[in-house]
Amino acid sequence: MYDVVDYVLNTTFNLGAAGWVVSLISYLMIATVLFLVAPLQMLFLTYYERRLIARMQDRVGPNRVGPEGMFQPVADAVKMFTKEDIIPAAADKWVHLLAPLVVVAPTMFMFAVLPWGPGMTPIDMHIGLLFFFAVSSISAVGLMMAGWASYNKFSLLGAMRAVAQMVSYEIPAMLSLLAIVMITGSLSIVDIVQWQGGLFISSSDVAGVPNWGLGWFVFNPVGFLAFAAFFIAALAEGERTPFDIPEADSEIVAGYMTEYSGMKFGLFFLAQYVLNFLLCAITAVIFFGAWQGPGVNELYALGITPDNPDGNGWFNVLAGVLGAFYFLFKTYAFFFVMVWIRGAFPRLRVDQLMDFGWKYLIPLTLVNVFSAAIWVGFNNWGANEGFGFAEPLGDLGRWAVAFVLTLAINIAAYIVMTRIYGETRRVTFDEQLADTAGLPS
Amino acid sequence: MTIQFERGKVVVIDRGARKLRVGQGMLKGMAVVWHHWLKSFQKLDNFSKTAGVFTVEYPDERIKLPEAYRNMPILLYDDETGQELCTACFQCQRVCPPQVIHINQARNPETGKAIPAAAEFIIEYDACMSCGFCAEVCPFDSIKMDHEFELSTEDHAELTMNKAQLSRPVSYYERIAPTFWAEVKASAYKKLQNSVKRRVDLIGIAPQMVEKVKAMRAAAAESEATEAAPSSAPTKPSAAETSPATDKAAKLAAIRAANAAKQDAGNGGTSTPEAPAGDDKAAKLAAIRAANAAKKAAESGEGSASVAPAAPEAPAGDDKAARLAAIRAANAAKKAKDEQENS
Amino acid sequence: MELLIQIIFFLLAALILGAGVMVVAVRNIIHSALWLIGSFFGVGALYLLLEAEFLAVVQVLVYVGAVSILILFAIMLTRDVSGQGERLLFQRWWLALLVAITLFAAVITPTLLAQSWNVVPPTGPIEPGQPTGIAGALELGRGFVHEFLLHFEIAGVLLLVALIGAIVIAFEERNRRRKVLTLAEEHELRKRREQTSDANASESALSAPGHPISQSE
Repeated sequence: MYDVVDYVLNTTFNLGAAGWVVSLISYLMIATVLFLVAPLQMLFLTYYERRLIARMQDRVGPNRVGPEGMFQPVADAVKMFTKEDIIPAAADKWVHLLAPLVVVAPTMFMFAVLPWGPGMTPIDMHIGLLFFFAVSSISAVGLMMAGWASYNKFSLLGAMRAVAQMVSYEIPAMLSLLAIVMITGSLSIVDIVQWQGGLFISSSDVAGVPNWGLGWFVFNPVGFLAFAAFFIAALAEGERTPFDIPEADSEIVAGYMTEYSGMKFGLFFLAQYVLNFLLCAITAVIFFGAWQGPGVNELYALGITPDNPDGNGWFNVLAGVLGAFYFLFKTYAFFFVMVWIRGAFPRLRVDQLMDFGWKYLIPLTLVNVFSAAIWVGFNNWGANEGFGFAEPLGDLGRWAVAFVLTLAINIAAYIVMTRIYGETRRVTFDEQLADTAGLPS
Repeated sequence: MTIQFERGKVVVIDRGARKLRVGQGMLKGMAVVWHHWLKSFQKLDNFSKTAGVFTVEYPDERIKLPEAYRNMPILLYDDETGQELCTACFQCQRVCPPQVIHINQARNPETGKAIPAAAEFIIEYDACMSCGFCAEVCPFDSIKMDHEFELSTEDHAELTMNKAQLSRPVSYYERIAPTFWAEVKASAYKKLQNSVKRRVDLIGIAPQMVEKVKAMRAAAAESEATEAAPSSAPTKPSAAETSPATDKAAKLAAIRAANAAKQDAGNGGTSTPEAPAGDDKAAKLAAIRAANAAKKAAESGEGSASVAPAAPEAPAGDDKAARLAAIRAANAAKKAKDEQENS
Repeated sequence: MELLIQIIFFLLAALILGAGVMVVAVRNIIHSALWLIGSFFGVGALYLLLEAEFLAVVQVLVYVGAVSILILFAIMLTRDVSGQGERLLFQRWWLALLVAITLFAAVITPTLLAQSWNVVPPTGPIEPGQPTGIAGALELGRGFVHEFLLHFEIAGVLLLVALIGAIVIAFEERNRRRKVLTLAEEHELRKRREQTSDANASESALSAPGHPISQSE
């Protein structure tokens, strides 16, 4: 965007604008586009989810407003805007007012590092991935504020649950990402996406693999386990159904949103769906190569790039459109899976949620970090690091050995962990029963 | 799983499904949902399957309501004559649990005598609880439960229904509940004929039919006036009509007799051709009586007998109807004669 | 550009200091925790202004995302947090002020004296080969596992000790734990109780030696 604005201002109109003016204008434009995209995503996702879950429950879903109910979310938004804003008399007014903003703002920040296509990342930070998750953790403060300021037991319970859940599940999410970061050796989201070129085998692991944009992390054992763990943690972070205890409507009304109405409630809703979109998007970025897919790299190579300044700008546009299509397709596919899971599983109990996070996901992701180390060792390390014995295998051979080894470790870890976890749950139930009753177990 | 053996015989027990390990149960659950999602794009026509959309998108498509469905009570009137089946017997008003039925008995404006018809009939739909007691209790099968359920309105008062709003033709009820109506049709019409005899003028005609009936009667009177002059209308069923005195009641009775006769002829010809021959006697008897009555009428007036040819037309038909027609004709003729004498 | 950065700096400084003052000035302890979060956030933004992206993000992740949540949790799990009717200043407030000023001076004086001022800031984009200074995650990581390994390990052990201590404090013996039973569990319990009482009864009745059932059991 900087280049385009620079070109238009300084070459076409010859205004001689300073660098910071160009930066400011280009970033303002990007921010405007993103701020428009975010609510639209939310509108689309609500419609998409309602239609999908209806289909899964043998219903039709909203199909009255507009063709096939396309304008249902717009109608809902109008309703939200026109509803009365209620502040409880006993509420802490300022904190009550600020809480939705604190929840929404981070989700908007998170768009800053999301890659939409080749060369279409708003900001390429060195630590983009960390930025993404650091910012996402801010919204926990907003939830706490909402729960506390509402002066309502359900709000407070919901906020406590939400925050406990977010803090707990951030750890497995981070640990599963750690495995990926170990393999790529970079926290930059652009690097991670670039790494996933190739053809089922990443071209970064094995030289000479054609760059068809299919070397996604999910195709190797480390990436797959990390993906599974991360997606489960993402469900918990986004308060999606098996983990939607913070707003469990059958238990605590609507959790921290209980005392909100009108547009403030709308903001919470917006934040939640935008967060879900972002979590799906980041899953697609990290494990499914974001915009990587057949054709994008070829098109992009023909366009104007730092390597190829004489290219045709139209190929940039084509590559961008194709890349954005792949990216959004993957993102919506993940949202489909989220809805699918919502249709399939009931809500967990609080203790089950905590047990699952701490006793199952965290050990599993720790094993996965170990697998990632093996992967890195076999694929990237040479004689200097003590992996001289692997050199004669060649790139593909080393890759194959790493694949088999990590696959064996991860499958074994999965089976063992699952059985132990199932066993402990059963034993604790019986023992507790025996303890309570004072009976021999 | 333990298998128990009893002495002398082997007990076979069902082992059930395979035990699900390491997350298989989760995948199985998701497969079920996936199956439902895939199947949801086809519409279910019956309920033997469990997957698939069986939503009826209401305003666009509607389920055919079962005959016994009941929503709000309505009043029936005869399609052709516009005569209401209701006789203002007050049974429904008495039985109505929320007491939302209000009836005014019709009275003869000259004599002040009660006439078996309702002058006004009001049901408060807003308080009606759709229990259907009124329809159950109605001895004349006049009050029936409607299938119409889209009654929402902005104006509360609109839900207080008067006779004009409540009246529906019999054919309407026959359409929504054909078998129910077929069961009671004969007796309902019989009772109607009985009460019609005691009605005068336009009392007892459904409000929406009043104009039509007026026009019909006027037309009938005209045509008879013209056709009576040649006095050679053998097929015209206007037996007692031919006297120059334009006696409304007599005319009406004649029309009615004619209609009934025609109807009976139709029924006899098409629906029940294999009527038992044993009933012929009764029919014949009725025909004779009708002929006699017609003759009498002919004596008093100067017209040609024409009920007679009408009545014998239906010997094979159900005797009851034939008898009814004959009685009716006789009564009409008698009445005509009496009034002529009076005048 | 310089001016812009200075304006931003002073705005951030005002936010950090103002929020810091509010932390100790407001009566409501939850509000003071929220002001503290604002102060943390300002510090993160200050790091970002110094182009120390990694530190800024870690500041947000650790302080805003985790520490502040812990503080809020701790406050909410404490009784009587209203703070109404409590005095903010005590009789010996000057003593507290003195201690605070002394401690602050002890930190700031060596810094002021030892600081070499007027260092020319690096201009232009950083070359790929050049170390990115304190901002780089790579250098930080290298420092942790090479130069400052001992410090890092000690900090880690300290946290582990704290963790174990927390578990020890919070741990309840299993036989002292009381579980709230669901209906199904209660039913199960009743069934088992009956079974055991039946078994006890039959055992005492059939405890004659050599009885086949008691033998098999």
